Amino acid sequence: MLIKLLKAEWIKLVHRPMTKTLLLIFLLMTALILSLYFVVVGLALGSFGFQVALFNPVQIEQYRLQLSFPGMFGAILGQVNGIGGICAIIITAGAIGSEYNWGTLRAQLARQPNRAMYLTAKLIAIMLLLLIAILLAQALGLVLAFVFGGLLGSVGSVNAGDLINLPIAILRSLYVLLPYVLFTAACSIFGRSVLAGTAGGMIFLTTDLVLGGLSFLPNTDGLLAFVYSLLVQQNINSLVVRNAYSFGLDPSIALSRFLDLAILPSQLQAVIVIAVYCLSFGATAYYWFLKRDLTGAA
Amino acid sequence: MPNVIETHKLSKRFGQRIAVDSLDLQVAAGEIYGFLGPNGAGKTTTIAMLLALVKPTSGQAFVLGYDIQKNASEALQGVGAMVEAPAFYPYLSGWDNLRVFASAAGLPNSAIERALSMVDLSTRAKDKFRTYSQGMKQRLGIAAALLHDPKLIILDEPTNGLDPAGTVELRELIRSLAADGRTVFISSHLLHEVEHICSRVAILKSGKIVREGAVAELLKRDQGLLLDLASEHERAAQLLRQLAWVADVRVVGKQLEVEAPSERAAELNMFLAQQGIAVSGIRARESSLEELFLELTQTTS
Ligand SMILES: Nc1ncnc2c1ncn2[C@@H]1O[C@H](COP(=O)(O)OP(=O)(O)OP(=O)(O)O)[C@@H](O)[C@H]1O
Ligand SMILES: [Mg+2]
Repeated sequence: MLIKLLKAEWIKLVHRPMTKTLLLIFLLMTALILSLYFVVVGLALGSFGFQVALFNPVQIEQYRLQLSFPGMFGAILGQVNGIGGICAIIITAGAIGSEYNWGTLRAQLARQPNRAMYLTAKLIAIMLLLLIAILLAQALGLVLAFVFGGLLGSVGSVNAGDLINLPIAILRSLYVLLPYVLFTAACSIFGRSVLAGTAGGMIFLTTDLVLGGLSFLPNTDGLLAFVYSLLVQQNINSLVVRNAYSFGLDPSIALSRFLDLAILPSQLQAVIVIAVYCLSFGATAYYWFLKRDLTGAA
Repeated sequence: MPNVIETHKLSKRFGQRIAVDSLDLQVAAGEIYGFLGPNGAGKTTTIAMLLALVKPTSGQAFVLGYDIQKNASEALQGVGAMVEAPAFYPYLSGWDNLRVFASAAGLPNSAIERALSMVDLSTRAKDKFRTYSQGMKQRLGIAAALLHDPKLIILDEPTNGLDPAGTVELRELIRSLAADGRTVFISSHLLHEVEHICSRVAILKSGKIVREGAVAELLKRDQGLLLDLASEHERAAQLLRQLAWVADVRVVGKQLEVEAPSERAAELNMFLAQQGIAVSGIRARESSLEELFLELTQTTS
């Protein structure tokens, strides 16, 4: 039954204009950001006939690595967990909230009353779509690495280790998007609308950013640091940064010194803490979805 | 054969408001059952409970023999329904919208074709739902309800937005569905729309059934005469009750409601005059179900 429901969800999701628009925006933004890196590196190396160094050489080297293999893999996943997160929130809020706004949820559940199965199919469809978006972005990265890497004199190379790392890194990327998806799902269900889901998801993202600004905390000792290490953002960062390192990048140089694996939670802790967040967001979403009456009044 | 729909003291309360109040419904297989009531009577809420969309506050509901609160999946496999307005994905075509339903139920494309042709929508199947007219949306809603060839079809105000020709077509469609042995449960607040096709009706008001029965019987029961008397209401009532052709007499204010064939009005007048009771006015009570419906539902609670 899950497969049948998944098919139905897939039709709804891929035919939706919003899905295609978001995917396009995501790919364009990714291309744009990497083009910017290309300009920065090109200026620093004098590839355009003159030399302008906007960053120090160590940082420039980080940008250059992202424009060739295997760094490009990591650069793409970095974008997935950046702008991709916003897209995931909008897609989830749209997929769940619209069903309330249009009244279609009632029509669907009148036929197939297993609500847990329905929500599961929907969430799987969303994650599947995100996976496909990541694969498309990697395909774009492939092209960009040849173009930009080529223009800058080195496309780089891919070894067997990189090919083993890639699927693992993609899974990490996807796993890191899950708490956003589930939190947004819970908000859409609670508020019975797209607006509630989008707002909830965005508040979650913003809170993340604000807490990220408190990242001097890990440098303090004891309880405060421990509590801070349990925040979802710290654990998400831990996995995102690991993706970068696994392709030879060092985000603590290019972005922020707090993205240093030495001060971020361990991979095991990150996986467990994120799972706990996902379970609690998911349980809340399912609880409301299963319990509530579906009346016309949204 | 057990009833296709059966409820026992089915009730739903929203906060302080009782939307459905101890409802006992029985709908037999093959019937076209009219579920009537004014706005806010509780029709949609009842239907939503039958479809497991709304949990009853108390009471029980059985659909196709299954307890809807325990075995909703089994029960609803044989049910096709449209609740309130037709709800579809606006960016999908009519065809793709039905494909969503068909995929979830594992039905072939032929089922979609059949349902669309039943409601005369085949030529516009590839157009987006949001470009449909109100009546076309309604037809698609009915097509979705018929998609899996259900034993029981529940339609909540199905004629909303249909033009006269569409209404007649729908009526024909409902008749043919019932002729094939299916049960149809239709709600409406317009009695004349269901009067001619329903075998039985229930009239709902403020969540309670105020009348229930075969349409013919309700009409018969409602035949009668209204008499205006100045005095001696009780004595007149007693005398009339002794007449063989008078079924019942009720005293309502200064009037007598006499259940008797209206063509015997003169005879009745003469009889009372002979007993020394003056009748100042006599008229046939309207016998249309519409009148009964209005009378039963107009007084606001
Ligand atoms: N979600 C809800 N919350 C609170 N009250 C509700 C809710 N849904 C319905 N009601 C109330 O329950 C009562 C019955 O509503 P219902 O929609 O079942 O009426 P109806 O017979 O279908 O009316 P209509 O002919 O207008 O469709 C109304 O008083 C309505 O306000
Ligand atoms: Mg209604």
